[in-house]
Amino acid sequence: MSVHGDGQANPVIRLSEVHKHYDTGPLDVHALRGIDLEIYPGEFVAIMGPSGSGKTTLMEIMGCLSRPSLGDFRLNGRNVEEISANGLARIRGEEIGFVFQSFNLLPRLSLIENVELPLVYRRVGRRERRDRAVTALARVGLDHRARHSPMEISGGERQRVAIARALVNAPSLLLADEPTGNLDSVTGDEILKLLHTIHAEGATVVIVTHDRTIGEQAERQLAIRDGLIAGDRERR
Amino acid sequence: MLANAMRQAVRLLWAHKTRALLTMFGLVWGTASVIFLVSWGHGVTAMLETGFFRAGKNMGEVWAGKSSEQFSPAVDRRYLWFTLDDVVRLRNRARLPEVIGAETWEMLPITFRQRAHTVDIRGIDPETLEIRGVRMAAGRGITRADLEHRRRVVVLGHRIRSRLLAGEGQIDSWVRIAGKPFRVVGLLERVGTQLSRDRMEIDEQAWIPITTLQTGWPSWWTDDEVVTKILYRMRDRSLLEETEAEVRAILAEGLGVSADDEEAVGIWSAIEMLNRIPLDELSGFLFILAAATLLIGGVGILNMMLDSVHERRHEIGLRLAIGARRNDVVMQFFLETFAIIVIGGLVGVAFGVLACLALAQVQVDDLIPVPVFQLDIVFVTLAILGFVGMAAGVIPAWRAARVDPASMLRME
Ligand SMILES: Nc1ncnc2c1ncn2[C@@H]1O[C@H](COP(=O)(O)OP(=O)(O)OP(=O)(O)O)[C@@H](O)[C@H]1O
Ligand SMILES: [Mg+2]
Repeated sequence: MSVHGDGQANPVIRLSEVHKHYDTGPLDVHALRGIDLEIYPGEFVAIMGPSGSGKTTLMEIMGCLSRPSLGDFRLNGRNVEEISANGLARIRGEEIGFVFQSFNLLPRLSLIENVELPLVYRRVGRRERRDRAVTALARVGLDHRARHSPMEISGGERQRVAIARALVNAPSLLLADEPTGNLDSVTGDEILKLLHTIHAEGATVVIVTHDRTIGEQAERQLAIRDGLIAGDRERR
Repeated sequence: MLANAMRQAVRLLWAHKTRALLTMFGLVWGTASVIFLVSWGHGVTAMLETGFFRAGKNMGEVWAGKSSEQFSPAVDRRYLWFTLDDVVRLRNRARLPEVIGAETWEMLPITFRQRAHTVDIRGIDPETLEIRGVRMAAGRGITRADLEHRRRVVVLGHRIRSRLLAGEGQIDSWVRIAGKPFRVVGLLERVGTQLSRDRMEIDEQAWIPITTLQTGWPSWWTDDEVVTKILYRMRDRSLLEETEAEVRAILAEGLGVSADDEEAVGIWSAIEMLNRIPLDELSGFLFILAAATLLIGGVGILNMMLDSVHERRHEIGLRLAIGARRNDVVMQFFLETFAIIVIGGLVGVAFGVLACLALAQVQVDDLIPVPVFQLDIVFVTLAILGFVGMAAGVIPAWRAARVDPASMLRME
């Protein structure tokens, strides 16, 4: 059981006995085998573990991108199982920011349009959309490239744009799945610094990484192995 | 939101020009064929009506035959004929026909200068002239006064006029019919091929007052002044049977036969023919044929959208991850389909309508079906297109957006 938090704040994320099965025909993959986990507001958590251990699956559940096959998941106290598909979409858009290993920018849209996209789905007006997207791009230092296409910038810059997109709705929870996995170490460090800044400003950050040195920098490290939490360490 | 999605849809179509064009081709073809084929079907109907009505619109023709009853042990049945008295009685008593006319015919030689032709000479009255509805190219028709004075005047059909008079004669020229001089008082406009006629077509007929014919060429089996045919025009084609029954009953009474004796009083109408031709079935068949091509166009859309959705599963996952609802995703694909349908549909309608109008402009010599364009088919076509297209375009996206975002995001 978790020993974190000061006992007063309610957890942002609370998983109890969460299982995830992937039913792929004859083969039933048991990706998560009973995860108990609480993450409190303002934490910076690094999840580490070997390939195939279920890190991405865990992130997906925490990000409301998929539902647990079994068990209970509460996000800010709400039982996710009881929330409709549209309700989850709203939560993903407003409360959660995602950063992916492969950036996931839409190549046909300009950088600013990519950053605006979450606001489009929240029906934010055109002008406000522009303003907030420019502000977000400025935070990652790319406002001068706003009109460029994602193909015209480097990998590190793409990841910064992706972070701007995750920030544009000012989410309280930022989930990053190997955000530096496709980057060299110098660029990776820049991205990580950015995540720490965002954390310092109050967001809860959960990051999946293979990189031990990145993991060491996190306040809290979770080790996951074969779909189970194998270690939960806090750095003081 | 909508403007944004529309812009993206257009950009996406542009990025896949070839695919979009191929899909659109199917739609254009389907839309154009529905409009063209259905209009052509209308054209066939119109052509048949024109062809059948050239001898007289909504016309019924009555002739006297043989009585059905035994006449005497020696002669099995009695021959019957009409006279002008029958025509007058019919005019006085019949309510349903609009106009009633009389006609009697002979095949006789007609000569002008050195030219001679044997033609269908029709003794008519002014009512028959009206029922036939042929316009005068020059001069006048046959009048009541012509009948009263049994004048030797003649109105020439279009073809016989050019053969007989050629360039040399005109109104007031004198021709001879079986040796007797007749003054040409009128020339008929061209009627063209008739789908219904008795003996020669109107273009080859020469019309004289019925009384003149009865006097000049009396019947050889009776002293009565025989009327070969009584013509009438019904008020409305839907009154076909009622009018027939009324006419038959009145005439049968005059002939002394029973009121429903169809052999004694024969009646024929082109409308019966028209009603018997399965025109609605033809239209329906053409419509189904064309609608099927439209359906194939819909399959094209389905194919394209399945492709498009498949290609963009990862993108769909991403959009869902950053807050898009399922409906937002479906809407985006809907707009993409919508753009294709609007463009394809409008181009198809334009092609179809233009083809109809262009063909309708072509001056055809005679009875060739030319498309008759009616606006309502455009709306029907667009409705089908919209329905088929939307179903084909939206279902793939709807299905894709139903699975959870995570599995879409994992797709590369
Ligand atoms: N859609 C799926 N269908 C079937 N099995 C799946 C699916 N997604 C993941 N898995 C399986 O679930 C297990 C956990 O996968 P997951 O992606 O969470 O691992 P991971 O820890 O993120 O690995 P990596 O470090 O390589 O990204 C793996 O065995 C994987 O093959
Ligand atoms: Mg992973």
